[in-house]
Amino acid sequence: MFDAFQRVLEQVQGTIFEWALQPALFHLGLMDWSEDVFDGVEFALYGALAVALAYTLFRPLELWRPVEKWDERRAVRTDIVYTLVHRLGVVPAILFLVLAPIGVTIDSYSRFEGYIPPAIEQLVTPLFNHPFATFLVYMVVLDLGEYWRHRLQHRLPWWWALHSVHHDQRQMTLWSDDRNHILDDMLALVWSGTLAMLIGVPPGEYPLVLIGFRLIESLSHTNVRLGFGRFGSALLVGPHYHRVHHSIEHAAAPFIRSRGCNFAVILPIWDVVFGTWRHDDAAYPQTGVASLTGPAVRCGYLRHQWEGFRRLAAAIAHLISRRQPDFVAALPAE
Amino acid sequence: MIFAAAFAAMLGATIPAMATTAVVLNSDDDSVSVIDSYREVSRTHIGRGPHHLIGSPDGRTLIIAMSGSNELVLIDRVTGVEKQRITASDPYQIGFSPDAKWFVAASLRLDHIDIYDGQTFQLLHRLPIGTMPSHIAFSRDSSTAFVTLQGTNGLTSIDLASGKVNWIVPVGPTPAGIITRPGGTLLVGVMGTDHIAEVDPANGTIIRKIVTGNGAHNFLATPDGKTLYVTNRVAGTISVLDAGTLAITNTLQAPGGPDDMALSPDGRELWVTGRWHAWVNVIELASGVLKTSVPVGRSPHGIFVY
Repeated sequence: MFDAFQRVLEQVQGTIFEWALQPALFHLGLMDWSEDVFDGVEFALYGALAVALAYTLFRPLELWRPVEKWDERRAVRTDIVYTLVHRLGVVPAILFLVLAPIGVTIDSYSRFEGYIPPAIEQLVTPLFNHPFATFLVYMVVLDLGEYWRHRLQHRLPWWWALHSVHHDQRQMTLWSDDRNHILDDMLALVWSGTLAMLIGVPPGEYPLVLIGFRLIESLSHTNVRLGFGRFGSALLVGPHYHRVHHSIEHAAAPFIRSRGCNFAVILPIWDVVFGTWRHDDAAYPQTGVASLTGPAVRCGYLRHQWEGFRRLAAAIAHLISRRQPDFVAALPAE
Repeated sequence: MIFAAAFAAMLGATIPAMATTAVVLNSDDDSVSVIDSYREVSRTHIGRGPHHLIGSPDGRTLIIAMSGSNELVLIDRVTGVEKQRITASDPYQIGFSPDAKWFVAASLRLDHIDIYDGQTFQLLHRLPIGTMPSHIAFSRDSSTAFVTLQGTNGLTSIDLASGKVNWIVPVGPTPAGIITRPGGTLLVGVMGTDHIAEVDPANGTIIRKIVTGNGAHNFLATPDGKTLYVTNRVAGTISVLDAGTLAITNTLQAPGGPDDMALSPDGRELWVTGRWHAWVNVIELASGVLKTSVPVGRSPHGIFVY
């Protein structure tokens, strides 16, 4: 069934590319971009599928057992824009255009210095004849990398300035996963690109499985009273688990370790191992950043992105002048 | 044991006289498909980004260029058993010089050309070359390699012994496939236009242009040297040319982004990968009719037919 469904997606991808995009590339003299654009169509197609699935599966949960109800949902509509520009490939395309040449330059330089990055199955040879197991190993390693990137986002003031764009949402829903500043997305790509230089990239045979991981990330932001219990929340990140991470209390002092918890994206084992795991059956805390309210939080996409630039500038000014940026609340007594 | 299971199954069966076996590289799927009796009989994981494959000069080995996993995979052509993996940097397109002394790999993504000893696969030269070195042809005396540069619309000539660039010239937008004619001139598929260009190998001068179809991409010459096929990847067609005069004698329909080609052993069928639709088209040459389209993995590229 999955094979047949994937076959349909392949034909849709090919048709969109051949009829809508290849003619444009040809007439614009951009035929050297053919393969990248073809891959981009696949990204957008699977992204649209992931969005549709997330809405179909998780919106009923939000209606059934919401943590919060709101009369005014403008901030939620902004998150829908965030989701679409990310999952349909607009932001990834921009980042690719900006960063790919840099990545190629660095990778190419490394080849002339004699370094060729290995793939995991070349380092762990028993994996070689088991591509799905290799894929899962990559997912685990990349999830570990994402855990530490997330820790740094909360630990470094200038990075928190960008990451606060994600955390300032007080109406967290299934749409909130992609609520990120474009510079933060760029740093994420640099991070994953650096990992790729060390361990290669995952096998390409499992695009439908990748959707599953994206669905987990959407579910973890869903506005629903749903937890996996104490044992389950040590196995898989869920809505309750991740809501505790988004707690407005924890964002009050984001770069104090004792105030941050539940940084994992997919696998809470990293929180368990590194001592940042927290479970509280009763708590479905309010989300957001205490010092960030009003239009700067409930605005549209472009204004929100500009707000992120403003916060970054303030954080850098603070580093230089030691002047306290406005988005860092006065530290409460411990 | 890449194809061994599929090969064993075929060898144990009664093979009709017309039966053809094809090996197809699914570049986005990291897999290899084996086709028998116009049906995909196996799809096997092989590594990252398999794009092109060639036969070794002695005919005993298939060599697959794995651009994503940075290796060459050598496979016994008869049994399908993997013999060896050789580390190589982003090999996209590969080729042996006619005398088999040199093996050349073009790195499309990382802008370099590697020259290896054709016997030992020891890396002798790595040339930075910009940008997007794509397809490779050789001079008849094996002294020179010619490589199309998709990103900079150029063609370069490289002295194989010294690893030095002889010249780089513009040849047209997004040049792709390249082939050496028996008389020594080069034909280049200028994919950003509708023509192929005949080029003087001495200095890169364009001798003439022959209109084939939008997205002229790659070439295949028949073993008797009489016919030349050109894929037009944007038009979805294949031009049939008289190899001597380069006059177009026919145009075949090949939907789905025709890319690489191979002839059936009896010469009656043309097999061509449909890059954008994950299939292999089989064209009956006597009638020009598309006989069938065989579904394979994503973005099929290189093809080898037994």
